Amino acid sequence: MIENGLGQQTIIRRGRWTRRLAKYAKTASMAASGYIGDSPLFMFDYVMRVLRVLVLLSIWRIVLSEEGASGLSLQAVLTYTLISEVFFSQLNPRTSMEDAFWQGTIAGRMAQPLGLFEQFTSETVGRWFFEWCCFSIPLVLISPLLGVNVLPASLGAGLLFIVSLLLAVSVGLALEYIFCALLVIWQLPLWVMLQIRSAFITLLSGAMLPLAFLPDLVGEIFSWLPFASMASAPLQIYVGAGNTLLLVLLQVFWSALLWPLAHWLWFKGREGMISYGG
Amino acid sequence: MAAKLNSVWRTLKRIWQLWLFYAKLDLLLLISDVRLALIYFSSELLTSIGSVIGLLLLAQRFDGIGTWTLNHLYVLLGYSTLVLGILNTFFNYNLSLISRRIGRGQLDHVLVQPQPLWMIFITEGFAPLSGLMGLIPGILLFAWGLIGLGVSLDLGWWALLVLNLFASGTIMMSFNYIWGSLAFVAPRSSEEISSSASRLLDQLKVYPLDGLGGLLLGSLMTVAPVGLVAWYPVRALLGLNSSAWSIWITPLAALFMLGIALFCFLKGLGYYATTGSQRYSSLGHRS
Repeated sequence: MIENGLGQQTIIRRGRWTRRLAKYAKTASMAASGYIGDSPLFMFDYVMRVLRVLVLLSIWRIVLSEEGASGLSLQAVLTYTLISEVFFSQLNPRTSMEDAFWQGTIAGRMAQPLGLFEQFTSETVGRWFFEWCCFSIPLVLISPLLGVNVLPASLGAGLLFIVSLLLAVSVGLALEYIFCALLVIWQLPLWVMLQIRSAFITLLSGAMLPLAFLPDLVGEIFSWLPFASMASAPLQIYVGAGNTLLLVLLQVFWSALLWPLAHWLWFKGREGMISYGG
Repeated sequence: MAAKLNSVWRTLKRIWQLWLFYAKLDLLLLISDVRLALIYFSSELLTSIGSVIGLLLLAQRFDGIGTWTLNHLYVLLGYSTLVLGILNTFFNYNLSLISRRIGRGQLDHVLVQPQPLWMIFITEGFAPLSGLMGLIPGILLFAWGLIGLGVSLDLGWWALLVLNLFASGTIMMSFNYIWGSLAFVAPRSSEEISSSASRLLDQLKVYPLDGLGGLLLGSLMTVAPVGLVAWYPVRALLGLNSSAWSIWITPLAALFMLGIALFCFLKGLGYYATTGSQRYSSLGHRS
């Protein structure tokens, strides 16, 4: 009887998790297909990103010799730049939460049978699948034409990159929710703050320029900030630069610190959110 | 002849009156909430700095980029910041991102006003105070670079600078309007297309494009005219191009682009006159 009871309990628990995962997957799939339904002109942004990567690659070829600089060879920097663009959305994860504030639809989201973080994260991941198919994979495929080797420095570096990328997403999403919570708590003008954030995040995270190429003290300070764990850390690991263990540990540290902070801030700010937007 | 001159004078006077009026509204908006005004000012300043700081730090680290010395790059970054600052000062409130107004059905607000459409477009977005902080970093960088280069500049050069700045701004606006006109036929899906077009030029305009291959460079000078926003006119103004005629390329390209933009916009407007907007709601927002 006890065995049966325990077994039954296990089945119920597994069923609940399966149902919950199915809800996440459904949300993600709706977000992915919504790309085409809402905006068939989404390709425009991808064209812009291809042009951006081409310009950046050309600048690196002008600035650097084959030996490179600051311990990074020219080929490593080209790989860094291309991989940064391939995983652009994962290295700077953005949900549609700010948009929900703006539209006032956030109130309706709270009535849905899923946690807010889970809803927005699922949607974000859903959009990534679409982007990988339409942009990231084609970019990797044409990389030989651009003269860039997209392979990681070693097999180990490739495997560690996956771990580091997951941690980068974790840190990035935590920062995203902290940013959203602060918007609510301090009642900040949404678009203005988004503008400032967009202007600086690519620099602080090392997604555009390797932090090693910044003036000494600036690069050193930036490398300890949580933003560096979003992009610089996985990209350094991919090209075989930097202290891998330290980079991953720093990512774990920021992830462990930022998620409880995000939950706490959200808990503190959600009452204020009712008067925000709408 | 006198009647014609009188008409031109009255039009210019009206534009001036409207600019004063919108400047006053801009001032009222800012002083109505000092905290908000400070946030806006800081945001404009930080955004301008943020758009050039990456390349500045890189240039500092490598003492220039290719044939571009640090001082050349200061001028380039200053010029590109100025172009955007000027657009934000004169065509704020989504006047430069026209697809938003069209896509949201907000063009109707403009069409019912007792002013010609073109006059509204060149005056309604005037926000001299909101846009000020976007101009200051541009002016400083530009001046810093020019002083560092130690070139002697005559009145003719300054006139050409103003002409090229005006032309670069016209090219950016025309590009936004050419794409933005799509919102007349596809209001929902094209609502943000001017933002995408603007972002394309805005993000790439700061880079020196010298090392690009012929095809890519050709594309960035024509189809997506990034090079004409800052790189090419600055090269011409600093005498980095071999031909003396290069200084006129950007103004001529601006005229050409303006013609295309006018054609596309008027064509779209003609279509809009037969369909109107299905997205309009009494609140003026998208439905």
